[in-house]
Amino acid sequence: MDIIVKKIIAEVKKGNQQAFAELMDLYKDKVYHIAYRMLGNVHEAQDVAQEAFLRAYTNIDSYDINRKFSTWLFRIATNLAIDRIRKKKPDFHLEDQVAGTEDLTYYSQISADVDLPEDQVVQLEMQEWIQQEIMELPPKYRAAIILKYLEDLSLKEISEILNLPVATVKTRIHRGREALRKRLRD
Amino acid sequence: MACSQENQKHIYKYLDEEMTLLEKKQFEAHIMKCDECHAQLRELRKTVAIIQSASHFEAPKGFTDNVMKQLPKQSKSQTWKN
Repeated sequence: MDIIVKKIIAEVKKGNQQAFAELMDLYKDKVYHIAYRMLGNVHEAQDVAQEAFLRAYTNIDSYDINRKFSTWLFRIATNLAIDRIRKKKPDFHLEDQVAGTEDLTYYSQISADVDLPEDQVVQLEMQEWIQQEIMELPPKYRAAIILKYLEDLSLKEISEILNLPVATVKTRIHRGREALRKRLRD
Repeated sequence: MACSQENQKHIYKYLDEEMTLLEKKQFEAHIMKCDECHAQLRELRKTVAIIQSASHFEAPKGFTDNVMKQLPKQSKSQTWKN
């Protein structure tokens, strides 16, 4: 995988745009997923994920080929998502959370003519609830929790993505996990 | 709440699998007799399991094409370099 990625990136650096499309196909789902989990909104997630790839393309010369590409890419995406969250008015924090989760597409992704069995409905509601809980976390804890438990990344990778010492990442995971525990208990 | 600040740290270390074998044994012995720590450990495990059960989404259709259309055209200097 790494060798293939390196070859593709070398092509992109030479100006081969088609190679960039291949690169996107490898990473678009993960980047989109991280953006979605951070923002809780499909439109914003798409915006941020697309912007992340555009920035990756225009800054590809600054990418050090000896480092892991996904770390660099996820860093761009996470920063964009955090910027987006910061730009939302803090005064409307509570409403934002509702607005941010109302267009969850768990339901809309399934075509309307399919009757859902009861257990699938429960599963969908559960999924919606998980995202609401994630959205309740302050963004800095949210990022750490998503990268750790949804993307299954190592503390070292998370520390590189978030540009924080490993010890700080650990603290954020612990605090985020603790906040979730308290909420999930109720 | 864990029974003490110290034990709170132990719960985290245990969950993060950062304990030596001896520490692990000692902590497990403590858990056996301390309901508070046991409950907190159980809740944290459940929390992690719930979060990990979140579905993974795929990028929407046409995602790559959309971005490809927005890529800047190859610059002249780029062509000269080659």
